[in-house]
Amino acid sequence: MESIISVHNLTKSYKNVEAVKGINFEVEEGEIFGFLGPNGAGKSTTINMICTMLKPTSGNIVINGYDVSKDKDAVRGSIGIIFQENTLDEKLTAHENLMLHCRFYNVPKDKREERIQEVLEIVDLVEEKSQRVETFSGGMKRRLEIARGLLHYPKVLFLDEPTVGLDPQTRAHLWEYILRLKEKEGITMFLTTHYLDEAEISDRVAIMDQGDIIAIDSPTALKDQLGGDIIELSTEDNEQALKEIHEKVKEAEVTVDEDTIHLKVASSDAFISSFIKTLNIPITRLNIRKPTLNDVFLAFTGRKIGETVKE
Amino acid sequence: MEGIIAIWQRDLLKFFRDKARLFGSFTMPILFLLIFGGGMSGSMETMMAGSMPEGAGEFNYVEFVFPGIVAMTLLMTSIFSAMSVIEDKDFGYMKEIMVSPISRVSIAVGKMLGSATIATIQGIMLFLLIPLLGLSYDIMALIQVIPFMFLLGCALSSLGLLFSSLINSTQGFQLTVQILVMPMIFLSGALFPVSNMPAWMDFIVKINPVTYGVDVMKKVMVDIENMSSTVMDAMGLNLTLFGRQLTIFEEVIFIVIFAFILVFLATVSFKRANA
Ligand SMILES: Nc1ncnc2c1ncn2[C@@H]1O[C@H](COP(=O)(O)OP(=O)(O)OP(=O)(O)O)[C@@H](O)[C@H]1O
Ligand SMILES: [Mg+2]
Repeated sequence: MESIISVHNLTKSYKNVEAVKGINFEVEEGEIFGFLGPNGAGKSTTINMICTMLKPTSGNIVINGYDVSKDKDAVRGSIGIIFQENTLDEKLTAHENLMLHCRFYNVPKDKREERIQEVLEIVDLVEEKSQRVETFSGGMKRRLEIARGLLHYPKVLFLDEPTVGLDPQTRAHLWEYILRLKEKEGITMFLTTHYLDEAEISDRVAIMDQGDIIAIDSPTALKDQLGGDIIELSTEDNEQALKEIHEKVKEAEVTVDEDTIHLKVASSDAFISSFIKTLNIPITRLNIRKPTLNDVFLAFTGRKIGETVKE
Repeated sequence: MEGIIAIWQRDLLKFFRDKARLFGSFTMPILFLLIFGGGMSGSMETMMAGSMPEGAGEFNYVEFVFPGIVAMTLLMTSIFSAMSVIEDKDFGYMKEIMVSPISRVSIAVGKMLGSATIATIQGIMLFLLIPLLGLSYDIMALIQVIPFMFLLGCALSSLGLLFSSLINSTQGFQLTVQILVMPMIFLSGALFPVSNMPAWMDFIVKINPVTYGVDVMKKVMVDIENMSSTVMDAMGLNLTLFGRQLTIFEEVIFIVIFAFILVFLATVSFKRANA
């Protein structure tokens, strides 16, 4: 496979923050590449630099063979982007928004209506095409933006938090559309999210934190890298239980999160029966599961993804 | 090219959909016409005609001030329509435009043509008031003046565009522009002649594109061929630069150069807006 995006030593400093601190990565043609990270990690900053909307402090970016700092117009023509914030013209109808986009991107005149129809079908907005966008719900607007991003058949589609602010049902629907699209058009997708389940659909995930990429691999590989199983338990007296665990249990990594104790072990089957016998404190809750991307994040940063950095 | 037309059409479409804006922008010129055309016309005439010898000719202030008020409307509408750039930034649409492969100069030109067209339409709508004011201009003259109005609209829109590409808030824009618009109206000859001004004011008069626009419009609209030179003097229809009388052609050239420079600066500012 070929790299469609390559990023080298990319940095961005604002007046008093170093938002991106020298990151490197490649995105392969046709894959779904996910950027996972908490608020302020630098995801949008990175995407905006790749999309020519923000000038990097240093480093270089090549997309589809074009250098982002030199061939801006060629880069702009090869990408589609759904920004984190709404960029529709709400006073115009859905169709008018799409038609303007065709004209901005020089979609051939005789193909325009056909393509508009096509993308509207993908996102199920055919019926609503003559309505003004201001009458749309949040989810409909987001779908329309995705449709618009596809009109000019971009090589790479960037989606910056495509589902932020939407209810779980709409989110699930939106992902259906996005996956349907990837199947149909085979375009490369670059998405950012701070929802873990959403990152799971990516072929590869880059975990970003405080301006750095701390891990990059397929979700499965990242989780396998942690290995083993995770046992979550609550007891009647966690402090006492912890003491006992530290004394008697050697083969588990122990972390505590509020009133839950996490034990990471190589294999829960062998471990759990003897463990329950060793512990004298009554267990109130017990749960065994495979690691998630959150555990990966936790392992790398010592924080959960939703937590803010404590200085 | 397609990009320019798309941007231009979008602004026009939005203008026609916004009925409040369509009619709201009429209040200011009508107010000025009431004050200057009705209320003050008597005293303005005495003031301006004061130096004229008895019987040198008829003098009608309203005829003098009407093209000025049209030019003023062009100025206000052009500059405030250029504010659409700031609105587009606020509502995020500017990102959709900026991330597309349209050249930055096309964005500037498209926006400029949009504001200029809207301003010209508003200016033409003022023509409807001509019979009410008891004026009569030659129909041909009114048609001939339209391209000049559009040209002045382009120059003023590009000025507005430069400001709106540099400023990020509508309030900031309105404040800045108000400071700019007032002297541009008063020191242009739109409302009263600016022939005998102190040097520093004269300098502003001479670099103000509205001066040339108003002068051209008056020359086209007012029947100057049958007018005595004393009356022309009194009406301020004798604009000179470095001591020589300007022709319409020279004035048009000045406005065109002004527009080009500002569109260029606005383009640079759009280029710098991001990467
Ligand atoms: N225009 C700006 N000026 C100054 N600092 C900025 C600017 N934009 C972003 N930052 C800072 O850069 C850092 C990264 O921001 P960025 O928007 O890239 O984060 P993000 O990962 O997209 O977060 P979120 O999940 O909230 O969208 C933050 O600390 C933010 O405060
Ligand atoms: Mg973001």
